[in-house]
Amino acid sequence: MELSNVSFSDDAKEDILVLYGKTIDSEGFIVELENNNQRVLTKNGEEIHIDEWAGIVKGSEEFIKSDTFSLMQLARKLVK
Amino acid sequence: MKLLDNLKKIFDAKFSDVLNGTRISLFDFSRNTTNVVEEKNRGILSIDVSKASSKEKQLIKELFLDVNFQEKGFLLTDKSSEKTIQIKENLPKGDDKKLLQFYKDKLSPEIYDALDASLVIRNSFKKGDDILELKLDVIRKYPTFGNNLCNLSSQGYFEDHFKQMYDEMFEEDGFDIRLYQEKVEWIIKSLPYTVFITKYKKLDELSGEVKFKLEKLRLYGMNKLLLHGLGKENVDTGLKIIAEYKDDKTIDIEKDINSSKTIINATFKFV
Repeated sequence: MELSNVSFSDDAKEDILVLYGKTIDSEGFIVELENNNQRVLTKNGEEIHIDEWAGIVKGSEEFIKSDTFSLMQLARKLVK
Repeated sequence: MKLLDNLKKIFDAKFSDVLNGTRISLFDFSRNTTNVVEEKNRGILSIDVSKASSKEKQLIKELFLDVNFQEKGFLLTDKSSEKTIQIKENLPKGDDKKLLQFYKDKLSPEIYDALDASLVIRNSFKKGDDILELKLDVIRKYPTFGNNLCNLSSQGYFEDHFKQMYDEMFEEDGFDIRLYQEKVEWIIKSLPYTVFITKYKKLDELSGEVKFKLEKLRLYGMNKLLLHGLGKENVDTGLKIIAEYKDDKTIDIEKDINSSKTIINATFKFV
């Protein structure tokens, strides 16, 4: 079973971020490319470190974390 | 396949139509290759985004990523994609869903949240999947009770013990749901009458835990301690602990081991 036939590897994360107008700051948190002081937040208002970034979900390009709880929310959306 | 056609437009690539329907992964393997597009593994078409020109990158986004994003609604890393599949296949349904409905307005939001995730872990474990990362996520989010809650959930404590406790407390005069929540939380955090055997604890440590809890239970007039273990190694450890009480006439031990000797449940009762 596959969710999608397109995905990206961990080492391509930064390239993908740039394509979506984001980059990472000196501490490794995802920030706006145009404003490195503005960290990108999850729907729950959490900052996202590059190591815990899972990807992007539709809904004004929502950035999500890769922990079980975040992915459970995504999985439940996919079941509906 | 629209995505593949778009990819051909971007790179004018000479990859085979055999790849129709294949999986496509975006890599940055600049150390390993000189090509932007290639079939890196059998059946996986890889695009090295680090080598694409600015124009190509923009086209990758517009014709490839955005098209897929609009169609699927998400774009994930390889690992998160696999993890989401594992979670999706093990989401609570049927009896698990009924269990969550029962506890929805009874447990604190944190315990309920962890219980929800523990059911995914339990279902995944039953299928023989690797659950370590899922369990670690619960422990990271709820360090004071995540591990114990997952263990209790895997042993069915939420199906019987905590339900029974709710029914009994509900019958008491002046029942307050907060008292129930506090008691559940205390039991999960301190495991007063339960010991879970884990490979991360040495035999003497587990043996000491059993002894300490038995003394406490004897002191407070409670009559049993439960010992649980999963896996051959843990079953052996459990048997060694049980053997320590073979000459103790004040304790009666009932043990239940499955035929393949991978599950042990034992009840220590004061005679």
